[in-house]
Amino acid sequence: MASRVVDMTATTMALVAEKRNAKVKPSLIMVDNVDALADSQLVFRDTFNTNASIVAATGAAVAAVVGQTADRLRVNVSIDACVSMRDELKDVKFLGAASVLRSVAGVPTLDAGCHVTLGYNLE
Amino acid sequence: MLELKPMPEATVTPGVPKLLQEGFFVRFTDQWPLTLPHVKGKTFQIEKTNQVPYDITRIIPGGNYTDIDLSNATGGENIYPENTKTLYETILGFKPGNYLVHFYIPSGEYVHRLEQAGMVPNVASATLRYLGARKPEDSPYDDKRIFMYSVKDLEPLILRLLVDNGVLWEKMVLGLVVNKCYLKEITPTPEQLARAKKIDYYTELRW
Repeated sequence: MASRVVDMTATTMALVAEKRNAKVKPSLIMVDNVDALADSQLVFRDTFNTNASIVAATGAAVAAVVGQTADRLRVNVSIDACVSMRDELKDVKFLGAASVLRSVAGVPTLDAGCHVTLGYNLE
Repeated sequence: MLELKPMPEATVTPGVPKLLQEGFFVRFTDQWPLTLPHVKGKTFQIEKTNQVPYDITRIIPGGNYTDIDLSNATGGENIYPENTKTLYETILGFKPGNYLVHFYIPSGEYVHRLEQAGMVPNVASATLRYLGARKPEDSPYDDKRIFMYSVKDLEPLILRLLVDNGVLWEKMVLGLVVNKCYLKEITPTPEQLARAKKIDYYTELRW
């Protein structure tokens, strides 16, 4: 339905903003690391706001949280490699906004030569 | 006033309208209380309609629940009419997810329960949480099958949304279409009375 390409010019790049009445369902992720200077470790992160709720088992109140995060996918891509995923994504969904974080050997690192493409549907 | 329309066993041609239409008749039973004199025991013809879609969303952790009040009370979702001559026929559907929905009207009183003592919905119970609960597949967002009828000053209808165990968080999207019906009171002929849609008071759902 829609797609977005970002160059990792920052260690965290936004991909899709939250749509309040829908989840983001990725249909394609492609990482082009051919122009990058090092192997890339990429984390696709979900960021959303929760509502106040009650724990069913105890009755304890749980406050709303702004900016709750959950990592939905982690992938390593070697230098000079280009990978794409489709079938692997069928059970991956983002409740809120989707973003991608890049690191090298565990250290957040930007690299404009690392290109990330996300194709997605809203459901 | 609350119905789950099952999957049809057969289709007819031409199709039957899903929502109340102009010219249709509706009849409120005598069980409606004296506090709602504008509808109690009365029959109306629908003069005009207008369909208004609306979505309600909640994100909460697994094993937790949250209540949604559809009435116009403070903190409610304001899905009730304010005019005594208006009937809201609201259809409700759910986007997919790992959650259950219980209905209460008024607050704390279950709509769906069985006759044996203790057989009432209970979100704190590993088993009774499934008693009387609707699942998203019971009324899909694109084929809504839960019908609710509300008039001005009706007691609040509460939806209790429980995210079942097995997920860290769930996003629950409730799709509503409010079919606003403007009513004209009539003295029905026997034929009109037979054709009128009967709208029960919620107490008639519990016996």
